[in-house]
Amino acid sequence: MIAVKNITKTFGSHKAVDNVSFSVKEGENIVFLGTSGCGKTTLLKMINRLLEPDSGEITIGGKPIAGERPEDLRKKIGYVFQNNGLFPHYTIAENIATVPDLLHWDKERTAQRVTELMEKLHLSPAQYRSSYPAALSGGQQQRVGIARALAADPPILLMDEPFGALDPITRAAVKKDFKELDELRSKTIVLVTHDVQEAFELADRIFLMDKGHFIQDGTPDELLFAPKADYVRTFFDEQRFPLEASRIAAGDYPALIRAFDNFKNRHR
Amino acid sequence: MDQSESLWQFMHQQSAKLLQQTMQHIGLTFISLFITVLIGVPLGIYITRHKKAAALVLGFAGVLQTIPSIALLGFMIPVLGIGPVPAITALFLYALLPVIRNTYTGINGVDPGVKEAALAMGMTGWQRLLKVDLVLAFPVIMAGIRTATVINVGVGTLAAYIAAGGLGEFIFGGIALNNTNMILAGAIPAALLAILLDFLLSRVQRMSSKARKTALGALPLVLLLFSSFYLMPLGYNSRLLAGFTPEFMGRKDGDIGLRAVYGLNIRTVVISDAVMYKAIFNKKLDVISGYSTDGRLKAYDLVTLDDDQKIFPPYYAAPVIRKEIVEQYPELAPVLNKLAGKINDSIMTELNYRVEYLNQPAEKTARDFLVAQGLYKTPRNGSKGVIRLGSKIFPEQYILTDMYAMLIRGYTDLQVTSKTGLGGTKICFEALIHNQIDMYPEYTGTALLAILQPPSSETGRLTGNRDSVYNYVRRRFDQEYQLYWLDPIGFNNAYALMMRRGQARQLRIQTISDLTTYLKKDRS
Repeated sequence: MIAVKNITKTFGSHKAVDNVSFSVKEGENIVFLGTSGCGKTTLLKMINRLLEPDSGEITIGGKPIAGERPEDLRKKIGYVFQNNGLFPHYTIAENIATVPDLLHWDKERTAQRVTELMEKLHLSPAQYRSSYPAALSGGQQQRVGIARALAADPPILLMDEPFGALDPITRAAVKKDFKELDELRSKTIVLVTHDVQEAFELADRIFLMDKGHFIQDGTPDELLFAPKADYVRTFFDEQRFPLEASRIAAGDYPALIRAFDNFKNRHR
Repeated sequence: MDQSESLWQFMHQQSAKLLQQTMQHIGLTFISLFITVLIGVPLGIYITRHKKAAALVLGFAGVLQTIPSIALLGFMIPVLGIGPVPAITALFLYALLPVIRNTYTGINGVDPGVKEAALAMGMTGWQRLLKVDLVLAFPVIMAGIRTATVINVGVGTLAAYIAAGGLGEFIFGGIALNNTNMILAGAIPAALLAILLDFLLSRVQRMSSKARKTALGALPLVLLLFSSFYLMPLGYNSRLLAGFTPEFMGRKDGDIGLRAVYGLNIRTVVISDAVMYKAIFNKKLDVISGYSTDGRLKAYDLVTLDDDQKIFPPYYAAPVIRKEIVEQYPELAPVLNKLAGKINDSIMTELNYRVEYLNQPAEKTARDFLVAQGLYKTPRNGSKGVIRLGSKIFPEQYILTDMYAMLIRGYTDLQVTSKTGLGGTKICFEALIHNQIDMYPEYTGTALLAILQPPSSETGRLTGNRDSVYNYVRRRFDQEYQLYWLDPIGFNNAYALMMRRGQARQLRIQTISDLTTYLKKDRS
């Protein structure tokens, strides 16, 4: 679906993304995981041309995106921002309808779609349709941001720390409803986070990044149980026990005891 | 209470004029504002995208703001002439900075996250500008337009200086005539207009974001509607155009007298005397009100029309001197009278022209004249006493004072000190009666109207006759102030109507009556 070949992006003398290649299959959910400044957001923004790479090529469905008008490309790619990026002067309904309106959907179809998404994201249409973003809580705003990204049913969804600005309780609630969205089944999702738990929850494949490079990519199990570098191992150490525990099938007590022993030994 | 009642009466009497001026003022303000928004907002948007141009554009608009408004109007006369075009251009230049700056600040102030989101949703640059940037920057841009509006209402009063009308006509007329009611009749509506427009725009500024989209569309229409309030100062449909100073417009021995006595019906605009001469020279005007010995008459090749019905009181110049001095030094009066009858209007104009336009020192001009007349004698450097000469603060007075100083030094054993540049009539006269100076040159008309101020019945009887005015002021100065008027020097620096020499000759106009007749013929 998405193929990235040898892209590099520098800001001044700082190499934010350094000769990176990867590809994402259709329907796959991948996560760029790393600390602040590792280049993960820069990488994400190059996929919908909010940033242009200095060199290298990105294709979507086999077509190079550099050959397409940015605004046409972006209408086919949903985008969720960390700080929601909602238009303060648009109502909730108008915010969600942004892309359908740009695509000139007819009014009724747009209105139906807005209602449908608001219901799916547990925002009462009757109550909030005509409200402005400022009247909503942070969690509700983030739900609107997700609805807006999904409105025109784009095949690809880019998410930049989508739950990062929320408090833990709200985050859990929003994340739960997000994961339950049937809309997402068929979507190719690229998500950026520094939250290891979140990466493990949502990713089919994790790309662990540092200093503009991928250190290792693979399934959560591969990264957790078969780290290829010390950096990978130490990156997960802090939360190794809950992570490992979460990968263990229910009832497999010997595995759980092994994991706990490992944890105890490391912290002795 | 008296003041406010008579102000009300004045405004009531002049309500037609007041309404016209107010409409003109609103019109001028909004035409300028319309152009400012049309140019300033796009320019402000442009510099948000070309940051290097920002400093240049904002700096330039800032410099424009610092040019004194009168100077800016002055610069424009040669290029744009007089009337609404230079006035609107000047207003536009003053309004530009707040509009550009607030557009720039407003758009830069939109949350970068929101801007990025707009692009990420697939908006083009233009769509983002119209749907997001401008709508969110709207309150800041409106604040700039508010500032520009208030500036324009204020600076708009100066439009009266260059024949573009507006409430300045009353304000400057009132200042020139020392008529408080007239000043207030212009200043109060101007202030109310500024407050009202500011209030209305503040409502627009605080509109909900829904209404803003409508407002953005309606703004040009509203501006155009108010712009249409501006009607060229209407008058009579004559081919000739007159430009009169605000003072002349309000004087009995001015526009009012011209209409009443001569029945003169000429299309008239109000203009400042600083630009009036240049405007008639550049054929923007055909008739102006001026002073008959002004050096600019010669500089711009103008002729004065003969006041054949005698509505302008004579302003013959003569030295006014303290009685005590005349008695103490009996030789003084005959010496001072040597100048009597020696300088007629055209000679005085020539002398003024040399000082004002050729920048010759007044002293050299005075000496050259006395030498040519055979009146100059080398100073005797006597030590009998000191005569203190005063003068008002304009070239004609300097020249006269220098001549008197040379005569006194050459013909008597007296010494002279000069206190030139004593401001206006009031200061010279007070200095004289309080024994700070001994003499200065005064004009009969000024003494009559500014110092003695007799009831208007008496003024009416006196004006028109040179000798009766002279005799009247001489008699009363002697009785009331112990001041002597010596013999008149000869010239009459009175109000006069002026035309370009060529045009006057071509139309065979020599007197004001000729002008009236020509205008009547013109219409029939």
